[in-house]
Amino acid sequence: MIDVAVTQPDGPNEALVRLRNVSKSFARIVAVEPLDLDIRRGDFLAILGPSGCGKTTLLRMIGGFLMPDTGRIEIDGQDVTTLGPERRPTNMVFQGYGLFPHMNVEQNIAYGLRMAKVPKAESERRVQKVIDLVRLGELARRAPEALSGGQQQRVALARALVMEPKVLLLDEPLAALDLQLRKVMQDELRRIHASIGGTFVIVTHDQGEALGLANRIAVMNEGRVVQAGSPEDIYARPATRFVANFIGDANLFTGQRQSGHVTLAGGARFPDAGGDGVVFVIVRPEALKPSTRADEFPISLPATLVDMVYLGSHLKLKVALPGGQEVTVHDTDLSLRERIQPGGPVYLGWSAAQHRVIDEP
Amino acid sequence: MNATIGEIGRSRSILLAPSALVFIGLFVLPMLYFFLVSFWQVSLFDLDRTFTVKNYIRTYQEYLGVAGFTFLIAGIIALLTTLIALGFAYAVRFKVGRFGTILLFGALISLFGGYLAKVYAWKTILGTNGILNTALLNLGVIDEPITAFIFNPGAVVVTLTHYLLPLAILPIYGSLRGVSDLTIEAARDLGSTPIATFFNIILPQCGSGLIASFSFTFLIAAGDYVTPRLVGGPSTTMIGNYIESLFGFRFDWPLGSAMSFSTLFCCVGILAVTSYLLIKAQRR
Amino acid sequence: MSAFSGQRVSTWFWRGFAILVWLFLLSPLAIVILFSFANNVVTTFPMNGVSLRWYDLLFDNIYFWDALRNSLIVAGSVGVISTIIGTMAAMALARMRPKIAGPSMLAMATPVMVPPLMVGIALMVLYVSVGIKLSLFTVVLSHLVFTQPFVILIVHARMIGFNYAAVESARDLGASPLKAFFTVTLPIIRPTIIGAALITMALSLDDFIITFFTIAGGNTLPTFIWGMIRTQTDPTINAIATLLVGLTVGLSLVAMAVTRYRG
Repeated sequence: MIDVAVTQPDGPNEALVRLRNVSKSFARIVAVEPLDLDIRRGDFLAILGPSGCGKTTLLRMIGGFLMPDTGRIEIDGQDVTTLGPERRPTNMVFQGYGLFPHMNVEQNIAYGLRMAKVPKAESERRVQKVIDLVRLGELARRAPEALSGGQQQRVALARALVMEPKVLLLDEPLAALDLQLRKVMQDELRRIHASIGGTFVIVTHDQGEALGLANRIAVMNEGRVVQAGSPEDIYARPATRFVANFIGDANLFTGQRQSGHVTLAGGARFPDAGGDGVVFVIVRPEALKPSTRADEFPISLPATLVDMVYLGSHLKLKVALPGGQEVTVHDTDLSLRERIQPGGPVYLGWSAAQHRVIDEP
Repeated sequence: MNATIGEIGRSRSILLAPSALVFIGLFVLPMLYFFLVSFWQVSLFDLDRTFTVKNYIRTYQEYLGVAGFTFLIAGIIALLTTLIALGFAYAVRFKVGRFGTILLFGALISLFGGYLAKVYAWKTILGTNGILNTALLNLGVIDEPITAFIFNPGAVVVTLTHYLLPLAILPIYGSLRGVSDLTIEAARDLGSTPIATFFNIILPQCGSGLIASFSFTFLIAAGDYVTPRLVGGPSTTMIGNYIESLFGFRFDWPLGSAMSFSTLFCCVGILAVTSYLLIKAQRR
Repeated sequence: MSAFSGQRVSTWFWRGFAILVWLFLLSPLAIVILFSFANNVVTTFPMNGVSLRWYDLLFDNIYFWDALRNSLIVAGSVGVISTIIGTMAAMALARMRPKIAGPSMLAMATPVMVPPLMVGIALMVLYVSVGIKLSLFTVVLSHLVFTQPFVILIVHARMIGFNYAAVESARDLGASPLKAFFTVTLPIIRPTIIGAALITMALSLDDFIITFFTIAGGNTLPTFIWGMIRTQTDPTINAIATLLVGLTVGLSLVAMAVTRYRG
């Protein structure tokens, strides 16, 4: 049994889970296109995507519940492609939890240790430890059906964690909880990951959850990983229009690149390396700065303010470009309200570091 | 049992194997062999395996009347049983409220009440010195026992209807349970009378249950021989009685088989036509 | 106003109808049970006091004990075998696509739809032709044919709403498929399986026609009753019929209670 709390002997960049050319189809419908993915030791990886993008299929292949049609899966150097879930060093927290209704909390958690024939004393010690870790203390003898959703969630987590898996897999674990509880459980998951330092892989369709939990995100769409990287990377520099739109709000400007310069429809022009052709420039609402002057920011577009809403922490502006395109702007400078009026002119400015240029398509 | 993922498919067929073996070895094969027997003949108390259709010709020539009578009785029983079951299920589902559970529970109990026990009960009820007659005599309603209660087709109809009723109630109630109260309230709200609601909303939604009940009761009634034997009397000999006797003292398996399969195929044909007409009527 | 009073009349009509049907269903059995405890020599009103003489007479009959023993052997064996193989099949069918599982189950249920007279005779013809001697063993085999569809239907219905995440959890936590079945699936669906087993035993106990054709010399309770009905009319038949009804109804009541069957 390998302790998940162990430090990372091979350095932070070594891949613990290695997927090569892995694909899966169901009755001629491709769920996962052939893909490569590395999960590093100690990572908290979020596989993020809309429903039907293949993310759960991918997770179930890592867990051993589905056999890939092509490719191989390695965990810690061992080829596990054809092994069933009971023979993999992974454990899963299922969507809907899959608690054993005929066993109490303690028995649920001890089940895996019982299967592994762990001696009673050690089993009891480990169960107690993990019960403390997930803060289930006084509920140990309750039946699962007597627990709230959040408590059941903790049991499912404890039951997987007690096995000290090399990789903990979480399949939409928070989807069934209400918003309040989801926030609490997100904090819990972060705390547990920080305190035991294992490798976690979570599947989610909630971008907020991915950003809030993971130190690495793989965005999936139509069976492919379209972008993998740190949350900052993916938020600030989305690789495709899909990623930009799926994670947070994004404004999209169409432009033309010619001999190293991009010219936007609204007239702005800035240097950008790349081939000639149509490009999209993605700028986040909070990166756009409204201004009364055309030359305050390196890149600037003339526009008209349509509407301005006060949202407490910030203002939300609806701005129309001359061509009619609507742009959303978030700004924390509440004094803007005195300087510009709906119906009046405004310049939208930003710097090249805050946008991302994507070649079509 | 260190199964890998790929073995799931194989384990599925292993799981199915014993049941399939029972189904094929103890139902499909015997029925096929039994069917083959209908093309053989008997000579000197032994089976002669030369192919012949004379058993079917004999069945047609000698037992057509009996078969027709059997189908008539079975049809009456199936129709009566299905209608009563529909009424009962309808009442339990929509009209009696909390009471329904007790009523349905009674039906379920009578389902397991024992086949022979029921036939025997009707024999003691309807007999010349039976419960019905003695009760009526004691009440002064009649002066001497009525012999017309038993040993006629009516007694067979009553007894089999009683036996088959719970079996017919279950599928019909099952399909009525799926009818949502909301659709009925909506129909009433849109101006439909209770009778129109019954025919337009409720009946179409329990069609499959009705067909299932009718088919099942018809098949069992047409194949029964115990009831006519015990309460039907000589005037009510059904095809099952002849078939049974051919496997007893008359020893003519091929003829018995030909009669059995003729009956079965006719039943299936009658039921197919009935269901088709019912479905067609409902579409309209 | 008139619409509502019309509705009330119809409600009373349907209540009356339902109660009549209910009485029609239950009174014959009630009469048999009632008269099994009556002192009457013939089953006619009025009752001449309460007595257990018919039970005494029945219990003195050694053939009754033979029949009871045979019935229990057959019902017990059928209950165990049918439940095991039917449950196995239901497990497999529940994991198959509905388009295949549905027709398969319908096909497996045909033995229940064919008149028992034909099933019984076909089995007897097969046993005799193949050279299998008729015995309690052939009765047990024959009962499997019409009892396993019930097990398959009942257990399959349970597995349709089954949460497989619990089983997958077990596999994930190191249980082999077999181990996962015995430690997780089976304990969860145990009431359903017990219910199916009891129903199976009730059906087996009650079967007369198929038993009649596939048994050798001995008797089960129904064939014993058959012999009595044909040869005599004394109220001992009431007593044995009451016992049989009590057994089958008792089994099915327990079955409904453990599976929490609601209509």
